[in-house]
Amino acid sequence: MNTMQSALISKDIRGITANKQLLIAMISVPIALTVVIPSIFIMLLHFMPDFSDFETMLRLLPVDVQPDNMKAAVISLLINNIMPVFFIIIPIMAASIMAASSFVGEKEKRTLETLLYCPLSLKQIFRAKILSSFIMSELVSVLSFIIMTLVTQIEIFLTTGSLLLPNISWLVVLLLLSPAVSLISITLIVRGSAKAQTMEESQQRSALLVLPVIFLVAGQFVGIVLINIWILLGLGALLAVIAWFLMNGSFQKISYESMLR
Amino acid sequence: MKAIIAERLTKTYSGEKKALDNASFELSQGEVFGFLGPNGAGKTTSVKLLNGMISPSEGSCHVFGINPSSSPEKVHAISGVVTEHAQMYGNLTGQENLVFYGMLFGISKEESRKRALELLERLDLTAAKDKKLTTYSTGMRQRLSLARAMIHTPKILFLDEPTSGLDPESAQSVNNMIKELASDRGTTVFLCTHQLRYAQEVCSSYGLIDDGTLLAVGSLDALRCKLFSGLNVYIKATLFPEGISFRKTEGQLAEINVQTEEEIPPIVKRIVDAGGNVYSVSANKLSLEDIYFSLIEKRKERKEVKSL
Repeated sequence: MNTMQSALISKDIRGITANKQLLIAMISVPIALTVVIPSIFIMLLHFMPDFSDFETMLRLLPVDVQPDNMKAAVISLLINNIMPVFFIIIPIMAASIMAASSFVGEKEKRTLETLLYCPLSLKQIFRAKILSSFIMSELVSVLSFIIMTLVTQIEIFLTTGSLLLPNISWLVVLLLLSPAVSLISITLIVRGSAKAQTMEESQQRSALLVLPVIFLVAGQFVGIVLINIWILLGLGALLAVIAWFLMNGSFQKISYESMLR
Repeated sequence: MKAIIAERLTKTYSGEKKALDNASFELSQGEVFGFLGPNGAGKTTSVKLLNGMISPSEGSCHVFGINPSSSPEKVHAISGVVTEHAQMYGNLTGQENLVFYGMLFGISKEESRKRALELLERLDLTAAKDKKLTTYSTGMRQRLSLARAMIHTPKILFLDEPTSGLDPESAQSVNNMIKELASDRGTTVFLCTHQLRYAQEVCSSYGLIDDGTLLAVGSLDALRCKLFSGLNVYIKATLFPEGISFRKTEGQLAEINVQTEEEIPPIVKRIVDAGGNVYSVSANKLSLEDIYFSLIEKRKERKEVKSL
C-alpha cells in the first residue's frame, strides 16, 4: 500500500461519509437488523408465559438445558447461533452500496479517465477501490456488533438479572468469516462495477450476492443449524483463501480500454 | 532524447474503420506540437495511444523512451492530460481536487496544497478555490483541469482542446502559460485542436490530420515549402495590364502569387504605368489554415482519382 493508494482510499471513504443519504442507508439497515430483531426476541421471551414450544425445540438440539434456565438457553441460541448470520449479510450490504459505485460511479461522474491517468497500475487502483469498500464494510460490521452487544446485554440483564456474553464463535465470525465474505463480495462487485455502464446495473448485479446468505438466514429461523467452531474456522479459512485468489486473479483480463468502453 | 516517437501508429476499433492510420511523427523536448484536425480526425485516439489507455493495432510509440502499451503508469507519472472526458469531483472544492490529484501523483499533502495554491493563483481561480466544483463555470473547470494536469510538473502535457469554453481573456492567459511552460521549463506540449488560428499562435510545429490520416508534419515553414513557399499578394487596382496573371478574390482583390518580396514593386509599377490606380497592396505567406485546407483538398482529389 503506497501513499497514492491511501489518497484514493481516503477520498472514496470521504465521498461516502459526506453523502448523508448513503451513510444513513449504510448504517441504519444493519442496526435495525442487529438491534431491533434481537430486542423484539428478548422482549417476547420476557413477556411470554409459556415456554413449551421452545422446550420441544431445545430437546431436539444437542444443548444442555436446565429447566429453570430455559430463557437463558433460548437467548443464547439467538445471540450465538442466529445473530452471527446477520454479520455475513451486513458486510455484503455495506460493501454493495459502496463498491457498486466504485468504478461505475467514477464513470458516471466522468472522473474515471482522470483517475486512470494517474501513475498507479490498474491492479493498484482496483486494490485501493476494494480496500476502501472493505474498510467501510468492516467499520459498519464492528459498529453494529458493538451496538448490538451493548443493547442486548442491557436488555438481557434487565430481563434475566445476569449477562449472557457472546461466545468464541463470534470471534471467528467477526475476524475471519465476515471479512472473508466481505472481501469476496467486494471483489466481485468492484469487478462487475468496472464492466457496468450505470449504477443501477451494478447494484442489480451486486444484489444477487445477498441471495445465498438470505437463504442461510431463512434456514436459521426455520430450523437452527449448529455449526461447530472448527467447521466455522475451516469455512472462514477457505473463504479467506478464495478472497485472496479472487483479489489477485480476477483483474488480469481487465484493461484500460475495456474500462473506458 | 525525443519526447515522442510514433512509428506507423495504427488503431482500428473493433469492427470499425481505422481511427488512426499509419501515423509516424517525432517530437523534441520543449516543443509545442499542434495536432490539428476536425472532430473525429483521430486526435483523441492518438492521445489515448500515447498514454497507454488503448493499445495500437499496428505500429508503436514511445514517450521519453517509455512504451505506453507496456508501462502506462510510467508514462502517466511524467505526463499531464487534459481531455473533455477527464473531469474532476463535483463534491470537492477546487483546492481539494488539486490536493487529491497531487497526492495521487505521490506528492505530499503539504506540497500538494502549496502547488495547488500557486496554480490556482496562476489560472485566476484563487477566489473560487473553496467553492465546490459543481458551482464552477465551464471555463473555470477547464482552467482547473489544466491546473490538475500540471500539479506534478509533468515533462509532457497532452492538451485536448484546452481553450474550448474559455473566454478570449482566459484563452490568452492559457496560451501564454503554454508558451511559458515550453520556453522556461522545457515542458513538451502535445496540443490537439481544431482551431487553426489559435494553434498558429502557440505552436512551434504541427501535425495535420484528417480522417485518421496524418497529412503533413513539420514547422510552419516546412509545411509551406511542401505547398508553396512564396507570397500571396493582394492588390486592389482599377486595371491590370496584360501579362500579369491574377485571380479575382471575393473582396474584388486580385491575388497574385510571387516567390519573393522583390517581385512586388515591378508589378505595382506596371499597373501604374498602364494608367491604373492602386488602392491597396498586401502580401501574406500561406497561413496554417490555407495549408490545412489545401492539403485536405489535395487528399480529396487523390481519393476521387483513385475511385475513378
